[in-house]
Amino acid sequence: MWKKKLYASKPSSTILLRTTELAKIQSPNSVSHKNTPILNPLLQISASYSSSPPFVREIEGEFFATAGGLFFGGSRFHKKNVNLFVKKKNSFCSESQSAEKLQCWNCDATTDGTTPFLVCQACRSVQPVNHSIDYFQILGVERKFNIEVDELEGKYKDWQKKLHPDLVHSKSQREREYAAEQSARVIDAYRTLMDPLSRAIYILKLENVVVDEEERITDPELLAEILELREAVEDAEDTQALNQIKAQIQEKMQYWCNSFEDAFLNKKYDDALGSIQRITYYKSAKEELVKKL
Amino acid sequence: MMRQASKMILGQGLPSLPTRTRAVVVGAGKPRMYHERVVDHYSNPRNVGSFDKKDPNVGTGLVGAPACGDVMKLQIRVDDESGKIVDACFKTFGCGSAIASSSVVTEWVKGKQMEEVLSIKNTEIAKHLSLPPVKLHCSMLAEDAIKAAVKDYETKRAKSNSIEEAAPVKKAADA
Repeated sequence: MWKKKLYASKPSSTILLRTTELAKIQSPNSVSHKNTPILNPLLQISASYSSSPPFVREIEGEFFATAGGLFFGGSRFHKKNVNLFVKKKNSFCSESQSAEKLQCWNCDATTDGTTPFLVCQACRSVQPVNHSIDYFQILGVERKFNIEVDELEGKYKDWQKKLHPDLVHSKSQREREYAAEQSARVIDAYRTLMDPLSRAIYILKLENVVVDEEERITDPELLAEILELREAVEDAEDTQALNQIKAQIQEKMQYWCNSFEDAFLNKKYDDALGSIQRITYYKSAKEELVKKL
Repeated sequence: MMRQASKMILGQGLPSLPTRTRAVVVGAGKPRMYHERVVDHYSNPRNVGSFDKKDPNVGTGLVGAPACGDVMKLQIRVDDESGKIVDACFKTFGCGSAIASSSVVTEWVKGKQMEEVLSIKNTEIAKHLSLPPVKLHCSMLAEDAIKAAVKDYETKRAKSNSIEEAAPVKKAADA
């Protein structure tokens, strides 16, 4: 009876097909809990990827299924061995270390590598956050400074349709947590790439060039210019004057954004950092100006 | 005058805990706020202004923190004979902590000897204002500023001294 019911629900049906095969082969334990036959084979699947052989022998503990997923009791269990693995532990794999095969925790399908692995294509379950996928990959744009920001919004919304916590009510606790994290990461990606300054800082970070948050400078020319600019903003009498200054700032920001791009493409990271400094100064001047408007 | 001056430095008014500087410490129960001394320096700015850069008695220190877009100008007026700082003023564009740090320094240096003020440490400033860790670089900026101002004055003085020394030699040569 329960078998039929489980067949009906899509996500677990694939698991069931595989587990029923294994259930025939293996003799279940004497535990009379109705979910045991399914759990055992699942354990076998995960056990085959486990790095510690003793784990397999310790499956005599109690099993109980909770609403969120599979939980294993028993004092002999080490929690860390219970995780159904996302990545295959490749002791036999001939592939290079860098090309890790990402695997769905739910259905064990491997990703085809064409889209960022935030959601499994096969069973549509949300995956845990993988920090090696950078923001450019998430939003499907080339890793360069001058991207089309118009493209970002569409892709951002597409991801949120699949990842947003509000849309995953029906899924397991674990998956909802993954959804919350993934969704937050996608939002970060979108915000970072939308703003030119944060995009510039991020793209440098990907090249391992980090902007020093505490750096102090004494460049008299630059500082005098910025001081003058800020004073002009403060002294400006009317909207017209402010808009004039705003236009000047826009121009300068554009110039330095272009300068950043040149420096970045030519791998002149010192110049790139210099451009970022200037853009930061202009941006804060603009923020003060906008407050006055 | 003060109002205008404060507006110059401070923009539209105290940005009530700008998001950048606000830190909510989870578990401690209280959100981290600006210390009352910082708020005081912000609302009642003292020594805001400018001296004439070209004045030989004036030393100007101009420093900046590009990562947060801060600019700090600190000026001292020195009495040539005694080497004492008779007056100081500042202009800072940046967060409340940066403004307060530079304001505190201008207060501290008045009436002191130049050599004495070089020993002002950023840790003292930070302690006085109870700056949180994320704002410690503001106090470092203020320390840099006063050092730069002193250095500028001494450079000016050295230049003018060398000109004075050269002049009598010239006169002798002409004679």
